[in-house]
Amino acid sequence: MKVLKLKKHNLNDYLDSLRVWGEVYGPVKQGEKYIYGQLDDLSKLDTKMLRTILPVKKFLMPPKFNTFTFDENKYKAELENIPNRIVFGVHPCEIHGLLILDKFFLERFPDPFYGERRRKTAILGLSCVPDDKCFAKSTNTHYVESGFDLAFNDLDNYYLVWVGSSLGDDLVRIRLDLFEEDIKEKDLKHYMEWRNWRDSQYKLNVNLTAMPDIMELNYSSPVWDELGDKCLSCGACSMVCPTCPCYNMSDQIRPSQFTGKRERTWDSCMFKQFALVAGGHNFREARSQRVRLWYTHKLKAFITEFGKAACIGCGRCIDTCPVDINVKTVVKALKGGK
Amino acid sequence: MNKPKVGFYNLSGCSGCLLTILNCENQLLDVFNGAEVVSFLMAQSNNVEKELDIAFIDGSVTTDEQEEFLHELRPRTKKVVCLGSCSCYGGVQAMENEKGTWLKRFNKVYGKKPFKVVKPFESKPVDAFIPVDYYLPGCPIDADQFLYNYARLLRGLPADVPKTPVCLECKWHENECLLLKDKLCLGPVTSAGCKAKCPSHNLPCIGCFGPADESNLTSEFSLLKEKGYTFPEIERKLRLFGGVKFIKQFKSLWKKAQK
Amino acid sequence: MANNVYLPEPMRIVRRYDLIDDVRFFQVRPLEMERALQLNYLPGQFMMVSLAGVGEAPFSISSTPSRPGLLEFGIRKVGIITEELFKLKENEVIGVRGPFGNGFPIDKFEKKDLIIVVGGLGAVPLRSLLLYTLDNRDRFGRIFFLYGARRPAEMLFRREFMELKSREDLHSMLTVDKDDTGRWTEQVGLVTALFKNLKDIDPQNTYATVCGPPVMYKFVIDEIIKLGIPKHQILMTLERRMHCGVGKCGHCVIGSIYTCMDGPVFSYWDVMHMKDLI
Repeated sequence: MKVLKLKKHNLNDYLDSLRVWGEVYGPVKQGEKYIYGQLDDLSKLDTKMLRTILPVKKFLMPPKFNTFTFDENKYKAELENIPNRIVFGVHPCEIHGLLILDKFFLERFPDPFYGERRRKTAILGLSCVPDDKCFAKSTNTHYVESGFDLAFNDLDNYYLVWVGSSLGDDLVRIRLDLFEEDIKEKDLKHYMEWRNWRDSQYKLNVNLTAMPDIMELNYSSPVWDELGDKCLSCGACSMVCPTCPCYNMSDQIRPSQFTGKRERTWDSCMFKQFALVAGGHNFREARSQRVRLWYTHKLKAFITEFGKAACIGCGRCIDTCPVDINVKTVVKALKGGK
Repeated sequence: MNKPKVGFYNLSGCSGCLLTILNCENQLLDVFNGAEVVSFLMAQSNNVEKELDIAFIDGSVTTDEQEEFLHELRPRTKKVVCLGSCSCYGGVQAMENEKGTWLKRFNKVYGKKPFKVVKPFESKPVDAFIPVDYYLPGCPIDADQFLYNYARLLRGLPADVPKTPVCLECKWHENECLLLKDKLCLGPVTSAGCKAKCPSHNLPCIGCFGPADESNLTSEFSLLKEKGYTFPEIERKLRLFGGVKFIKQFKSLWKKAQK
Repeated sequence: MANNVYLPEPMRIVRRYDLIDDVRFFQVRPLEMERALQLNYLPGQFMMVSLAGVGEAPFSISSTPSRPGLLEFGIRKVGIITEELFKLKENEVIGVRGPFGNGFPIDKFEKKDLIIVVGGLGAVPLRSLLLYTLDNRDRFGRIFFLYGARRPAEMLFRREFMELKSREDLHSMLTVDKDDTGRWTEQVGLVTALFKNLKDIDPQNTYATVCGPPVMYKFVIDEIIKLGIPKHQILMTLERRMHCGVGKCGHCVIGSIYTCMDGPVFSYWDVMHMKDLI
């Protein structure tokens, strides 16, 4: 992989230059939290951010978007007006989340709505320092080798920039003059020192290795009933989870004529109607069954399906659930801890 | 094909829901072209009262005259749709319901002189008098939810009002969770559809869309109690729009917690 | 985008009539004949039927790919989409996409005996399998067809199945729980009672397929197990809420499987092994 250097004071100039390719987004502060916001004004960029409220999936499968417009029975896919976007500041764990979504959406039966957005979204990674809710080291998602176009590694006064794709290379060439190509031995040393230091910063450890077996053994555990009693079924966990892909569909028509659109919105298996079929049978009536499904799917089913858990250790569930149901507490409870 | 005949009616309330419809300026032609609007006092003259396909009702029922109107209306309309929290749940004016203090409060405002024109009573939702087919809650209703359902109803489809909690839409807007900031937010127990307007302006949800499909009141209650809220505080918030529906359940939870 | 899996293809309703009181038969075909002849699918697969402005829902295919050019469905009026479908007349156009799901493992059935057990609406997907095997009769061993309905008036494809009784290469047994017509010429009793007529079953070389109302499964499977047929040779098709048909929307998920992609046909072993399946 090609590696370059970029002086920190050149970052804003560089990001500014990328507007020739597409809209530039990055972490900005919203209240006490962060979001990926459009960077019309680069002074809003906050590179010290922790996790954003919504993960980068919001660009690839927005919470609400049209899949088709229709006129009588003629359907037209809405794939044309998707803008080029550059998302800067995506942490390694989240890029792992994208790799999971890529497998999910692009392998069996490719999803064109995801695929087209993915193709038009440049992912510019950024190294991070964990807080007490991050456990990416436990999930082995704290470094990433693919899934990004460029990845910026923060080393005091400069970034090491990893070029991860042909598009990434094109983006570098927009302002090649800002980059240095000579990686020296001291850079390597610097990088290794940073890596060792950062690895030592993980305070939270959530061991997921035996989870498939533990989930199986806990199938009838009262833990699920306790969690079900506590869960508000607000669905916030699914909204913020970088690997939750579920959605709902609804057709919107105009009152006066037979034209409309087929809209796709985020859904959550935590909601009561999720497994309800026409005729009234609900396959997961009890909240405890739904909580169990959520965690079984993340921590067991994905391993069966894709070889690894669908948890990237980003800590969003820990940061979001008002009643403290999250990967950390659930895993602990299932392992018999309190 | 004959267009469906619809009527828009207003009982006791601020008429904000009907105003919300009239404020849909870009879709107004659609609203009036898609149906034969035979009665809409706020929007047109020459209203006629006749057989209807759909009657939309805004406002709660507070007088015998309104009650009579509902009984006259129901047999001549195929469907009745409640617009807004007043007609769905009784509205803000029902917040003190079932306390037995209505007459005292009424006299305090209007004096003890007898009312001659109509006979007033404590505010009630429309379904306390006649069967209602669909409910579009909110204070006021959400314009997009109305237009979506209006189009469905005109085509003979049932209304589709998802009762997922406000938190869903709140997260779509990337708001900070107000419960986590120790605010008395009713988001998790309240039905969405409002696009999380209040939390998006940093104001806790006051429950104006009414209960969500599956309100875990027990958990919401213990959470609020943990955060130091007292029963009267929670009750006042719930009563504001949720009417009396929530209260009984909360009261028993409170009693249990006291023991 | 060459192939959008979500794009409904317009198809014309060429025939429709009521199979029973609330179940209607729909025969549809793509607008172009050339395309109609290209339709390919397996018995046990399903299609997503789309009504613009109303939505989409999954329906089992009832026709057989061995009779090309059209698709058939047997649809019960049970929700918003089916309610609207019932309003449509011949020559009207609907959207259809698919086929989706795994379908029955036809190749594994080759040279094997087959017991097809049907209850009520389960006749819809299993008719596809039955007709397919009859159309390719020499590829399969003996075929037993056991169909139980509550009353004669509730038996789907009654006339068609009655006619098939005259075939000598098919052991067809039809039964009703109760004959309220006085004119029923076939068996009376539960479908499980028909198992006593199954003679000389070689369990290792027999596959059984079951589809019907949930209450039926347990009793029918008990009977099949009694015959000694291995659990992985007992197949059933399941129902779930679906919005995509391609393992994306998540509504049909059960553990690590998506009913729409990994099913809807599952073996009895799958069902035992994967909790929550039924």
